[in-house]
Amino acid sequence: MCAQISQSDGESIFADLDDEGSEREEEISPRKRQLRLYRRALGEQWRVLSQDNLVVASVITLLFFITMAITAPFVAPYGQTERLTADDGTIAQWEQPFWYGGEGGYVLGTTAEGYDLFSQLLYGSRAALLVGLLAAVFVAGIGTMVGLVSGYYGGRVDDALMRLVDFMYGLPLLPTVILLVALAGPSLVNLILAIIVLQWRTTARVIRSQALSLRERPFVKAAKVAGASDRHIILKHLAPNVLPLTFLYGAFSIAWAILTEAGVAFLGLGDPNHVSWGTMLQSARSYNALTHEAWWWFLPPGICIALVVISGFLIGRGYEEITNPELQE
Amino acid sequence: MTTLLDVDDLEVYYETEDGPAQAVDGVSFSVEEGETLGIVGESGCGKTTLAKAIIGILPHNGYVNAGRIQFRGENLTELSDEQRRRRKWEEISMIPQSAMNGLDPVYTIREQINETIETHRPGTDRVESNRIVDEMFDLVGLDPDRADEYPHQFSGGMRQRAMIAMALSLDPSLILADEPTTALDVIMQDQILNRIEGMQDEVESSMLVITHDVSVVAETCDRVIVMYAGQIAEEGPVEEIFGNPYHPYTIGLKRAFPDIRKSNQDLMSIAGHPPELVDPPSGCRFAERCPLATEVCRTEYPPEMEFGELRTYCHHADEIDEEFRPVADRAETWEQTEAAEAKNAKATEATK
Amino acid sequence: MGRAQFVVRRTLQLIVTLWAVATALFLLFRSMPGDPTTYIVDPSLSGEARERLIESYGLNEPLHVQYMIYIQDVATLSFGQSFHSNRAVRDIIALYLPRTLLLMLTAFFFAYLIGITVGIIAGWRRNSDFERRSVFIALIARSFPDFWVGLIVLWIFGAWLDVIPMSGMRSGGIQYDSYWNVELWLDTIWHLIAPAAVLGFYLMGYPLLLMRNSMLEVLSQDFIEVCRARGLKERSIMFKHAARNALLPIVTAGAVALGYAVGGSVLIETVFGWPGMGREMVNAVLRRDYPVAQGTFFIFAMTVILLNFIADLAYGFLDPRVTYD
Repeated sequence: MCAQISQSDGESIFADLDDEGSEREEEISPRKRQLRLYRRALGEQWRVLSQDNLVVASVITLLFFITMAITAPFVAPYGQTERLTADDGTIAQWEQPFWYGGEGGYVLGTTAEGYDLFSQLLYGSRAALLVGLLAAVFVAGIGTMVGLVSGYYGGRVDDALMRLVDFMYGLPLLPTVILLVALAGPSLVNLILAIIVLQWRTTARVIRSQALSLRERPFVKAAKVAGASDRHIILKHLAPNVLPLTFLYGAFSIAWAILTEAGVAFLGLGDPNHVSWGTMLQSARSYNALTHEAWWWFLPPGICIALVVISGFLIGRGYEEITNPELQE
Repeated sequence: MTTLLDVDDLEVYYETEDGPAQAVDGVSFSVEEGETLGIVGESGCGKTTLAKAIIGILPHNGYVNAGRIQFRGENLTELSDEQRRRRKWEEISMIPQSAMNGLDPVYTIREQINETIETHRPGTDRVESNRIVDEMFDLVGLDPDRADEYPHQFSGGMRQRAMIAMALSLDPSLILADEPTTALDVIMQDQILNRIEGMQDEVESSMLVITHDVSVVAETCDRVIVMYAGQIAEEGPVEEIFGNPYHPYTIGLKRAFPDIRKSNQDLMSIAGHPPELVDPPSGCRFAERCPLATEVCRTEYPPEMEFGELRTYCHHADEIDEEFRPVADRAETWEQTEAAEAKNAKATEATK
Repeated sequence: MGRAQFVVRRTLQLIVTLWAVATALFLLFRSMPGDPTTYIVDPSLSGEARERLIESYGLNEPLHVQYMIYIQDVATLSFGQSFHSNRAVRDIIALYLPRTLLLMLTAFFFAYLIGITVGIIAGWRRNSDFERRSVFIALIARSFPDFWVGLIVLWIFGAWLDVIPMSGMRSGGIQYDSYWNVELWLDTIWHLIAPAAVLGFYLMGYPLLLMRNSMLEVLSQDFIEVCRARGLKERSIMFKHAARNALLPIVTAGAVALGYAVGGSVLIETVFGWPGMGREMVNAVLRRDYPVAQGTFFIFAMTVILLNFIADLAYGFLDPRVTYD
């Protein structure tokens, strides 16, 4: 699939990004140069990724849901917790979708409390994506920074940070998130914080081992001899080289965060002010939508969750193919 | 002497993204009973592929496109997988290129040799196969007690010997030794080579020694094939090939290795690389790197020429004695190839 | 460093991690806003009984003394009494943990049995339709939330086809005098099938993908080629050599995954009304029954930490090459 990129064991593919064009160094400001560096790394990755149809489809899926989240207030026919009434003045509860013979013209029918399911589904994408994307950015960012610092400095810094990571690995994901959210109060912000607190450990561990090997590479040593500051080396020489791994774990984090949000909401610890796909499933279960066979209530949210999660996994897998040459054909 | 192995016009291709790569292209040769034949050439010239095709372990994208591999009169390429499997190791065994990593790390060496014996000779009792293991360990100079250890407990040289012990365990008619010494340090190389030589005296197997190292061939072989880019460049008795070769490639290859008789000789590699095998040049494949190359070399496949017992494939083989041999040791001679000129041109450009 | 030294050092690390988790729990519950005693002593109790309990827990002592008492309690796994049922937390755990383990271990066993087998074949038959399909299924299995799949299974097989129970671990009305009653076990298995299958399907993806990748890596190693040259049977190369080597990382990853999976039982137990420890923990959290929440959480964390520990040790025993440098 992406055999074009070859690399030897444990080495990064972008090893010496900064060697080319070094003659023109004075012409452009360091900041611009650094930007260009990252842009080139990203461009290169996208070139490889976009050859994988599944990755392209996943990106399109994610973009679709992002659009859905942004446009929800304009597209949704009703508010997310707007109680609807039928023509005779009673609450429009348990309505079937209009294309299934239901009255009132509801796209996906209504809940037992008289809420419009289609509107809830649209609004629900906001919670999922907010949690997924925000958590992923921070998880990947914090994990990468901790990993780089730990691997680059080594010694006591490394020891201290890795013992912290070991401790984090002792915490079971879902029970810890449940406990944190329950104690701090169920809200999206608390949920995102809880996920970040727990998830950066994986990224940190992986990036650290990568940084350990990068530290010994000639271009890093050369930069050190040339008197570059630690900050400069970490940001300019190490970071661009671990970008594919950062994105790999970032993409996986989207998936895990969304699954966690849905699970926690399903358990009744969702943000009471925001409808999410998880809370939709929770109310479907507590109002016995199963025995009412109101599948239009509990099928769509699950499918939406799965689509976003699969997209995250597939993008992550695309990066795995970049970072792990064993998997390349 | 009877012929043990007869390879006839063999073509082995690899499926690649750009089309089939012709890794072995029209190779014919034979191995007599008890003979040791060497195959030399740069890495990537198809010699390992040839060995894998003979023993029947081509990777999943490799296949025999045409030709025959006759072993004791039977065409191996026409056998079923199961028939082929039975002949592996029992008839043809190998000392692999990476013999150091050729042993399964999670079983002891005795377990692995026993497994091989018992797979091919069902009903062999454990006492008997253990006896064979001890005997083979003795033969290669290892302490039989250590057969119960895991491969990682052995040093590189010991693993190599254990591999040789395993290769001999079924008393095969032919042993393929693929770069048997490459992964070892110089002292170990010597020990292993001595071991192989000693082994040739004791067992009556034929051997096919595949290497890029001319000195290994000189020490162990009766006859030598020089391969280049999937084809035979030259073939003949070992003294002829290294004493008085007629192919410019053989001459160049010889120059790339130290010769004790010429102590102050400059070691020189041949400029350039072997050609792409997906769409190889139509004429002589060595033309680009050959100081004697002319127009005919680039367009026409070279004919077979015979010089005594030597078989040479070169358009200019008959000019070698007068025109090439006297100047072959000079570096300037090798600067005149197309590949060397291209390299120089690039170097000049870079300094500008 | 020898093996014994490694075991000793790893054991010390285990104790330190357990202590750190316990301390984190202590700080977490003590740092909650409001009267900290409400997290340990039932706020609905009357004045005098309340005072007595506060005293018996040492909550009137300074914080560091409380901490010492707390650590002693944790070391003996006594987490006080439930606000809700007034039973000892230790008894509650003893009741619910085996149920969670029954569900979890059943699901885990089948998930790894099937996942590893399919992974071996997928890695062996690289680029085949079988490989592509199994990788796709593994991705699907990991992407659909297990509680949602549980809902769908309940809808189809419970509500619609009526072949599985909608909830619980046992039917009402079964008379039994000992746990070795056949009818009781058959009934439990009948209740177990759906949640174990859903959970197993979810858990299967990880070993499948891991085993495939591990197989690909092993198959590219030189000794596999030598195995083929030795004329060993395909099946023997595939299972005895390739899979045996590829299995090493899966065993340790599996042990670690089991630890986390036990904590993940929360969702599946809630969907299927399986009266296990995960559901009990969520209920305790929702009821603000803090002693139970704390106790069950600590057991979950301990499972994770212990299995991480076992995984580390197991590696040294399974792979003859491991040295402890």
